[in-house]
Amino acid sequence: MAEDLVLDTAIRDWVLIPLSVVMVLIGILRYFVSKLMRSSQVPDPKIVKEGQVIVRARNLRAGANFIAPKSFRARRVYFCNEENGLLHMPKGQAQNAQAQMFSDPNMAMDMMKKNLSMIIPQTLTFAWVNFFFSGFVAAKIPFPLTQRFRSMLQNGIDLSTVDVSYVSSRSWYFLNLFGLRGLFSLILGEENATDDTQRMMQMSGFGFDPSKSLGAEKDSLDIIQHEWALPKFEQRAETVLKDLVR
Amino acid sequence: MATHSDSVAGKKSNDVSNDLQIFNAENLQSNMKVIYYSRTFLSIIGGVIAGILGFTGLMGFVFYFLIMAITSVCLMAKAKFSVHSYFDSWNRILLDGFLGGLMSFVLFWTFAYDIVHIF
Repeated sequence: MAEDLVLDTAIRDWVLIPLSVVMVLIGILRYFVSKLMRSSQVPDPKIVKEGQVIVRARNLRAGANFIAPKSFRARRVYFCNEENGLLHMPKGQAQNAQAQMFSDPNMAMDMMKKNLSMIIPQTLTFAWVNFFFSGFVAAKIPFPLTQRFRSMLQNGIDLSTVDVSYVSSRSWYFLNLFGLRGLFSLILGEENATDDTQRMMQMSGFGFDPSKSLGAEKDSLDIIQHEWALPKFEQRAETVLKDLVR
Repeated sequence: MATHSDSVAGKKSNDVSNDLQIFNAENLQSNMKVIYYSRTFLSIIGGVIAGILGFTGLMGFVFYFLIMAITSVCLMAKAKFSVHSYFDSWNRILLDGFLGGLMSFVLFWTFAYDIVHIF
């Protein structure tokens, strides 16, 4: 197939390892910078209150079968009552809350900061790699790819007879970019800024939460059929104990 | 480096009954995290091993799936085969995060293979 190219040890010393080390360090740096730059958000009391109401409603749903029917119904009415139930939010007000969240300057700034802090290091590193490390074979990937990937992976190398497995340093950069996410999640604790999309969802979801999830909680509370589990517990205890004794 | 512990944290189900399964969300999440960390760690280690041993092409990917399968079996053994008292479904422990470690595996596989065989 292809002759095995023998590559200079200097490439390994001065390209592969420094590139990986630099990317790891940049990732760590970005993590700390994002931690420092996170503006202290004073949580809006209204939002927090609604969040807690939702949590209460969820607990009620989870434990519905363990309380007496009457008390469950009383609690449900407290939540879902049309006039002043906690979960009932008049339509007009719901729209307002959503629009307000969107244009909330604090949250918009935060999202922008996070976006920037992710994009800028990537762009800079990519430009650096292109400038310094182009025009030579950097590594050999251990599995073969088709010819169509050649232009993508070998862009600095102008020989067309070289096996597609021999890639330029640009592709080593991309490989690092994706592969180091797992490493970051190990050494930096929980999910950090590199896997940003989840956190963005969570953060922006906080603002949109009130209008949609209140309605959702109300509907799911309305649906629940109460089936009181306690009377049957005696039979269950009996069967469990019988099995134990046997 | 990695706080790599295989311990699956705490039972979560309601002990009294067999039908009512209620899951403590926090413990469930921490169990999920344990699985995720284990798979990530093992995919990195597996990548280095595959590179050192000189696997190429399809063999390497087969090796990756082998490592994932071994992870699943070991996690199940650690959970003493009673999956339902630690997770809410079989799929969690078997399939979750299967492909998440693939990129890290490929990265470290390439790295080790190059260092050992090419240079």
